[in-house]
Amino acid sequence: MGCSMLRWVVFFVLSVQAAAAAQLDVQLHDRHGQPVADAVISVTIQSASSDETRTPAQTKVIDQKNEQFDPYLEIFRPGDSVIFRNSDSTRHHVYSFSPSKTFEFVLASGEQSPPIILDKPGVIATGCNIHDSMITYLVVSDARWLGRSGKDGVVTIKDIPAGSYQLAVWHPLLRPGSEPQPQALTIDPVVTAVSASFALSLLPDPRATNDLEHAVY
Amino acid sequence: MSFRLRLILFIVAILAIIQIVTAVLVYRSTREASIEAGERQLSSAAAAVVQQLDEVSVRVADAVQVMSLDYALRASIAQRDRQTLLSALRNHGRRVGATRMMLLDLDGSIAADTGAGPDVGKIFPFDDLFNEALEHPASAVVAANGQAHWTVVVPVFTPALNALIAASIPIDGALLARMQRQSAVSQAVELVTQDDKGAWRELASGKHDIRLSAQVQNWSAALDSGTRLVTAGGAEYLVKAVRLTGSRGSAPVAVVIGYSLDEALAPFRSVGVAWAILLALGLLTGVVGALLIGRSVSRPVERLALRARKIASGDYSLSGPEKQRGEMKDLSLALTSMTQAIAEREEQIHHQATHDAVTLLANRTSTEQHVQRELKDSSNAGGAMLMIALGQFAAIIKTMGHAIGDRVMRDAAARLRQLMPVGFVARVTDNTFAIWLQAGDRAAASALAFRVLDALAEPYQESGLTVDLAPSVGVALAPDHGDNASTLLQRGEVAVFAAIARGEAVSIYDPTTDPHRAERLSLMTELQEAIASGQLQLHYQPKLNLSRGRFDAVEGLVRWQHPLRGAIAPDAFIGLAEETGNIRRLTRWVLATGVAQARSWFAQAVDLRVALNLSARDLDDAELPQRVAELLALQGLPAANLVLEVTESAVMRRPEASTEILNQLASMGITLAIDDFGVGQSSFAYLRRLPVSELKIDKAFVRELGSDRGDQTIVHSIVELGHRLGCRVTAEGVEDAAALEFLRSIDCDHAQGYHLCHALPAELIPAFLITNRVQQGALEGRL
Repeated sequence: MGCSMLRWVVFFVLSVQAAAAAQLDVQLHDRHGQPVADAVISVTIQSASSDETRTPAQTKVIDQKNEQFDPYLEIFRPGDSVIFRNSDSTRHHVYSFSPSKTFEFVLASGEQSPPIILDKPGVIATGCNIHDSMITYLVVSDARWLGRSGKDGVVTIKDIPAGSYQLAVWHPLLRPGSEPQPQALTIDPVVTAVSASFALSLLPDPRATNDLEHAVY
Repeated sequence: MSFRLRLILFIVAILAIIQIVTAVLVYRSTREASIEAGERQLSSAAAAVVQQLDEVSVRVADAVQVMSLDYALRASIAQRDRQTLLSALRNHGRRVGATRMMLLDLDGSIAADTGAGPDVGKIFPFDDLFNEALEHPASAVVAANGQAHWTVVVPVFTPALNALIAASIPIDGALLARMQRQSAVSQAVELVTQDDKGAWRELASGKHDIRLSAQVQNWSAALDSGTRLVTAGGAEYLVKAVRLTGSRGSAPVAVVIGYSLDEALAPFRSVGVAWAILLALGLLTGVVGALLIGRSVSRPVERLALRARKIASGDYSLSGPEKQRGEMKDLSLALTSMTQAIAEREEQIHHQATHDAVTLLANRTSTEQHVQRELKDSSNAGGAMLMIALGQFAAIIKTMGHAIGDRVMRDAAARLRQLMPVGFVARVTDNTFAIWLQAGDRAAASALAFRVLDALAEPYQESGLTVDLAPSVGVALAPDHGDNASTLLQRGEVAVFAAIARGEAVSIYDPTTDPHRAERLSLMTELQEAIASGQLQLHYQPKLNLSRGRFDAVEGLVRWQHPLRGAIAPDAFIGLAEETGNIRRLTRWVLATGVAQARSWFAQAVDLRVALNLSARDLDDAELPQRVAELLALQGLPAANLVLEVTESAVMRRPEASTEILNQLASMGITLAIDDFGVGQSSFAYLRRLPVSELKIDKAFVRELGSDRGDQTIVHSIVELGHRLGCRVTAEGVEDAAALEFLRSIDCDHAQGYHLCHALPAELIPAFLITNRVQQGALEGRL
């Protein structure tokens, strides 16, 4: 199983339609052909050492409702801030052991945290120590373009100028060892649309099994 | 083998066979049922053990899972705080009973390890468990360092999947023993693993005596799901093996369960013991019963057998009736009546054997026994044996039959019994009675003999019938004539025969005249051998023809040269041969020899007539003429050359028959001569009718002829008579010249005697004839 898992194939198709700037469509599905939501696509300029385009710092709120973080996944740029808000009637003990940002605090009902600046790229998995099934992923990336797949498993990134790029995909439930390798993406000046497709090997979503203490074997 | 023993053996054998067969059948069906039950139990037990192990495994995994959710642990894991991590792992490991805890990175490498081995950085060996644990907690039973472990791997979320914890919880004998105790049936449980060489080795064992790993040595890695029956340590086990959920990274681990058939059968063992006791009791009862029954049957049988043996040995004394019931009583009564019947019949047979059925007097056998006994008891006092023969008895039987004969004998017996009311009277032969006069001497015997004759003198009479008994008495005396009974009886019979022969009423045995003495009989036996072996010779005495002055005839005379006794005189055996019936053989030999010799001389042209003697008995033989004719024809001898001589007395014994025979012989041309003429009681009437052509004057008249005037007168008369009857006359026994001269003077035809010549062997005759012819003168001078 491990072997077959390692040998999964990335289908990657390019087509050239227009000059100057092109639109990238990435289709994501799992090994059963089902569309995959909450996947993060990043496009980085291969030749550049870093992306010089900087957008102003933003502050995004992660709500806690019905003993769930909302949203499940949020994309941040380095320097952005996150605020956790407790909309439940219970307390939540929010924590993160992620190396890029470690924090821990308790939010009473209706409370919200001060803005937390996410200054380093990385994925900050945040949970609640009281409710095991609560989790949210704060994806901090300095890639030039970022996109998150919807329920249809599609990520669309517009206005990518011609050039050579690296296309990477990440998902919270990617099976360890089966992370797809970043792919080179070249956009000719004459094409207007490029599409790509990834098949991802995912672990089951722990949120589905609400009770982690009584696992199914 | 006695009846009792056979009965016991039979009962014991029947009991034992039935019991043993039943026991075997029951044991076998019980055993089969036990095996079936055992197989069922074993299957369910195996399932139960596996399930128990799984449940424990789940519990362990749950515990580890819960442990993985510990916040502090998660913090230390997330932060890879090594020392805190190890102590936290140890601490939590103890809670779940794990002996080794490992933290695994998501790339499969070991990030931390509480175990002794420096395994950090190496790849976790159970990759299948690892991969499974990425999705949910996974566990397997693995073998390591000769021990079995549950290896449980659970993911650690911080809150995202960050690492995995692998816990290693040992499965040891104590755990298995606990599971055994919890199980309903006592079973042997053992965990085994397969080594590199395919051999199954024990990992952990519950509390039991059998080593199950040894029993599955040759089982395949698949461990067929079936049940096997094995014998270990003298006990039988049903063994089943089930592979446990394992990991690819570990050798296979199986649980082996043994079901002790002996234990399963243990409840039946007490039944078996009861059974054996029952069998022993049954056998004992059977043997005792058989002994009693056998004794009640065999005792009387043995007693009856003893009685039968007594009867066989002649003991007819009747023991009292058996105190028996049923068949034994019948048998006993039958034996008693059989004994009586046998005794009566034996008495009867004995009486018949020792007595004459007609007269009821003692018979010859018992007479012999009685007399022998008296002789012995009386110590040489002696006695007299009187034999009374009824001379007419044979004629009575022939003419009037046995019924009258029996009545005559009964009458005679009654008269003798009247005469001798207490003495011993017996009937020893058909016509002979015997009286034994104990201690009787010659005089007493004679006196008794005459009284007997008086008693039997009256003829026997019945209606219209008068029979003269014609008794004769012979007497033999002990010890003069014999010292034992059988000799006395024989001598008495000889005496009575002598009396009958002589026409005397009483005769006392005379040894000198006894023709039946043993030596005479033996001589007759030897005579037969002599004829056969050529001891007899025929010598020839020449006869002088007085008118011709020459020898022209010979008389054949038998000579017996006995190899031991020497020459035996003809008088000694010819008379005996006549009495004993051997004379005919002798005559045949004489005729054959003499005719052959005559033929020989005839062929040589020797002019001789040969005279041969016939005996009185030969004249009874109707076939004699035929035989003589055949003999002459065979030899080719003219009948005229043969002269047959018969004595005067022989012819006179049975004149009619003799005349017939002689007529036949004469008609063949044979010359017949009357021998010993002058001493017999010849009847001239017969003589006249006889076909005789020669008379031979008896030598009694010739011996003294030269000097005795009387003889001369007689001889002269005979010669004249003979000539008048047309017969030649020969004088025998011429012993001197005077006799010869006288014979010549009265014209006697032939002379024969020592004076002229002895009887000579045949081969000397021709020479004698020649010599005499040459010396005719000398012969004449003898005259």
